[in-house]
Amino acid sequence: MSLLPLIDQRLLICCGTGGVGKTTISAAIALMAARKGKRVLVLTIDPARRLADTLGVRDLPNQAMPIPVKQLADATPITGELSALMLDVKSTWDDAVRRYAPAPEVADQILENRFYQKITEGISGTQEYSAILRLLDVVEEERYDLIVVDTPPARNALEFLDAPRRISGVLEEGVLHWLITPRFTSKWAGARIFGKGSAALFQIFERFVGADVLRNISEFLTSFSSLFDTIHGRAERVQSLLRQPSSSFLLVTQPTTMAVRDAVAFHGQLQDAQVPFGGLIVNRMHWSTPGVPAAEPPRGPDAFPAEPPGEVDPVIYERMVARVWELHQVYCRWARHDREVVDGLQESFGADYPCQEVPDLQIDLTDLRALSMLEPYLI
Amino acid sequence: MKELLERELIVVAGKGGVGKTTIAGALGALSAGTGRATAVVEMTGAGSLAGLLADGKPSYDGREIRPGLHIFSISASKAVEEYLLRHIRFRRLYDLVFGNRFIAPFMNAVLGLNDLISLGKVMDLGWEVDAEGKRRFEMLVLDSPATGHGLTMLRSPRAMMELARKGPLHNNAQLVDELLSDPSRAALVLVTLPEETPVNETVEMAAQLEQQGGIQVAAIVINGVPVSPLSDGEEDAYRRFVATTDSRAGGEVGRALREVGRMIARRDRAQVQIDRLHAALDVPTVEVPMLPSRHLGEEQLATVVGLLEDLP
Repeated sequence: MSLLPLIDQRLLICCGTGGVGKTTISAAIALMAARKGKRVLVLTIDPARRLADTLGVRDLPNQAMPIPVKQLADATPITGELSALMLDVKSTWDDAVRRYAPAPEVADQILENRFYQKITEGISGTQEYSAILRLLDVVEEERYDLIVVDTPPARNALEFLDAPRRISGVLEEGVLHWLITPRFTSKWAGARIFGKGSAALFQIFERFVGADVLRNISEFLTSFSSLFDTIHGRAERVQSLLRQPSSSFLLVTQPTTMAVRDAVAFHGQLQDAQVPFGGLIVNRMHWSTPGVPAAEPPRGPDAFPAEPPGEVDPVIYERMVARVWELHQVYCRWARHDREVVDGLQESFGADYPCQEVPDLQIDLTDLRALSMLEPYLI
Repeated sequence: MKELLERELIVVAGKGGVGKTTIAGALGALSAGTGRATAVVEMTGAGSLAGLLADGKPSYDGREIRPGLHIFSISASKAVEEYLLRHIRFRRLYDLVFGNRFIAPFMNAVLGLNDLISLGKVMDLGWEVDAEGKRRFEMLVLDSPATGHGLTMLRSPRAMMELARKGPLHNNAQLVDELLSDPSRAALVLVTLPEETPVNETVEMAAQLEQQGGIQVAAIVINGVPVSPLSDGEEDAYRRFVATTDSRAGGEVGRALREVGRMIARRDRAQVQIDRLHAALDVPTVEVPMLPSRHLGEEQLATVVGLLEDLP
């Protein structure tokens, strides 16, 4: 089974743990789709520098950058279009605040708030949340047939899906809001409801962190509540987009014990979350001659000739031949190991999904041509 | 290595999956080997340290895995609970405030409470004394969380001091900050891989640490360096031979030659990254070769310890 039919989807979401080559695979899939005539956007999160340079996204983060794919036209002309966008968490949030705040002053208040700044810098899940917000922006532009999303590295598939809900839990007009805000505003309703308990809690907070901290939090919560519903509503819309049949989740992994264990867990979590699963990509496979190679290097004119090539010392030549063969045996052992791992994976995933193996080519992704070398392994 | 090992605290930091725990364990073993009572502390509570150095479960209260070497697995939530209970005193009140599903994540995310208190808990180990007033541990090795979080953690004392101008959290933060920012007492060892993204992160992390002040970057360990598959002479013979092998390309010999070619390419690519690291940072480095297995047996640990002895 090939990944090719998936390019007719509207959204492809590539997920997986860190370090498996998700960003590269996402870009290669997008390039493949562009070659097949699609208008494609790849939304990347944190590309390695050379890939970012190849995609041309480093200078203008958060903007969709058209990539000159026509230059790749070799045998088959490229009829589609490819753009890449590198997510910038802070500007996504800042844009959302400016766009959805009821008044410019409210936006300014939020943007200058210390807690807002901290939240957009570091709180776990903001990267996922902003990826989701930015995704909806580009979906609404309706400029692309297909959007390929490279998700932030995660230990858990649900980190991407659940981030909006987790953050909402923190920001919602919940207990925290009732607890803190009444102290600094004339709205005493909350305090009346919570009565003495609230006062005691507040004192504990205050003793630990000081009143100015609480005032800052309170101001933030008050201003932010005016646009929270809009932002949260948008995040919820993406949740339903991700579950439509025109979306597919792809799982990227590599043939190591740990990555495979994570992939199986990811798959289970995706099923539990009831999102459409599209297939599996096993990256960095060792491929070699099936079976166990002969103990001794094959000799002869079509293998290792008895005579070294000119100028090479015969003793060193013999050592090289022996060493190359020894390394080949090591490589075959790796290949057998990888084969076993993937067979096990396929068994646990079933035959309903494509499982695409991408070999460990050790290529430098310095240009689009290098990236397109992965294409034959995706089809 | 004398200088690094004479301090009180070594923080080991780096991107996830680069082998921080291995290096922290080896530094701990190295320190214990010099006769100083040493504690290696991991901050996740996950027990990877115990899994790597010994076959056992993580222990919050620590255990001695060889003479003079203790390992601790500190989970942030437990450390926070311990700290706050000491200050709030009433279990029910604690549950009410910090057991709340909205408040707990907010406190962690916004106030960096988890980070600060976990760090404080580690420092507490350094201040523990026995009946004769002698320090229980002369060296603490801290296996810190992955890069982004590790940086936030190291910044947490100052962040807290800016936020809370007085109170128990402020005092706690100040004590931790004093130790971290004293280069005669504390040092940071960055661990990285000879790959593009880890090297970028290492360079950025070193720059940020430099900028924010605080702990001093004393050394960088480049872990998982691929070894050359062929000796120089063999490699030369290989290249000359490959140039004549068109007729063999389709067969098993051609395959074997391409495989070796990839191993050489991998080493060359690693070397490019190592050179880039050296060009960007003026910090002593040590290279640790790719180890055959993830379980750190005695022999492998000894190898890594031996290599780390070369640090300044």
